[in-house]
Amino acid sequence: SGFNWPWQYDFPPFFTMQKNADTKFKQTEAWCSLILDYHNHFNLFRLRIADALASPLFHNKAIDRRMSKQAVLEILDILNKKGNVEWEDKEKTSCRVFWKTTAQWADIIFKWVNEIGLNNTVCTLHEITNGPNSTNQEFHNLDAQILVDALKILQTTGKAELIGEDGVKFF
Amino acid sequence: MRRRGVGASAITKKKLETSRYKEHGNELAMIQLDQLSKQLETFHSHLEKFAANHKQEIRKDPQFRRQFQQMCATIGVDPLASGKGFWSEMLGVGDFYYELGVQLVEVCITTRPQNGGIMPIKELHQKLLKTRGKYAQDISLDDIKTALSKLKLLGTGFTLLGTGSKQIVKSVPGELNMDHSAVLEVAQKYNGKVSNSDIEAMYNWQTERIQHVMEHLVREGMAWIDTQTPNKETWFWFPAFFNVKNNN
Repeated sequence: SGFNWPWQYDFPPFFTMQKNADTKFKQTEAWCSLILDYHNHFNLFRLRIADALASPLFHNKAIDRRMSKQAVLEILDILNKKGNVEWEDKEKTSCRVFWKTTAQWADIIFKWVNEIGLNNTVCTLHEITNGPNSTNQEFHNLDAQILVDALKILQTTGKAELIGEDGVKFF
Repeated sequence: MRRRGVGASAITKKKLETSRYKEHGNELAMIQLDQLSKQLETFHSHLEKFAANHKQEIRKDPQFRRQFQQMCATIGVDPLASGKGFWSEMLGVGDFYYELGVQLVEVCITTRPQNGGIMPIKELHQKLLKTRGKYAQDISLDDIKTALSKLKLLGTGFTLLGTGSKQIVKSVPGELNMDHSAVLEVAQKYNGKVSNSDIEAMYNWQTERIQHVMEHLVREGMAWIDTQTPNKETWFWFPAFFNVKNNN
């Protein structure tokens, strides 16, 4: 997999919520970046609590430490406030994870459009995220919903126009 | 019968004699002082000559530097006293410790978020060698201690805890007493992990005393709590002494 775990991942108390406010702040910040880096590395856009609790992200088998559901919810709520997580249901059983904000995605996509000269052409949404021109791009295999949201941002600034359900014209 | 020394002339004579003795005494003292200062001057110039001759060794060899400094200290010369004096110009030794001091502060501040402001002196030594690069002068633990003692004058809270090779550099303000230092010593020995029973086994302290010390170290951000332990006892982990390789 080749994911670079931070040093804290092997530090057993990282999996126990700290009581000292300063230490806890360091801990939650480290968890926030770990969660985003992890989703980024494995190209994941969605997190289901039940699955995640059993995944290596929140369970380090080597040192036999795991995050409790309550602790994970607390950290995801912090990410939610930062704009990196959006709950999909009221019960908070799953959420979307944005390791980049939609505005950042919009910038990256438009930069790519300029680089390969897609201005003033129409292309399909599938072409952008799964076509041969974007295989080396960060947004390759990007979540369809995130793509639409990013394109909407470009639309408001006049850089793109959505056409129907699955087309877009760049300017 | 003729009696001596009762007349006015006798008194004057006696006065004259005492003043002559005094004069002579002063003269002797002057000569001694002169000799002494000459001796000191010679010594000083010899020391300077020595320093000049061994400039390279003093700059390069930490062991030699330490001995030279001890020698200077015994005769009351402080080569570090001024950045502009003869010594620093001759040896660059003042600059050396200023530079080391700045690097030391940098290392301590950048690692503070991780270690909570405490670091084994050996680790600090390694990190300093790394930041200074391959071509810089070699530095010893004694150099670090000297630089630390200079920093103390600034009152920034840089202090050295414990003794021997397991000494710890503390770079955050706030007092640590003997009990705290004793616990840090055990934590360092156990690769960053201690429990109350470890401390009890080691020092035979009462429960309240252990709890008090542990609470303080947690409050200072030096220790993290871990409740998912195999024996269900709370463990205290010190990132400063934690080494992934040793624990897995």
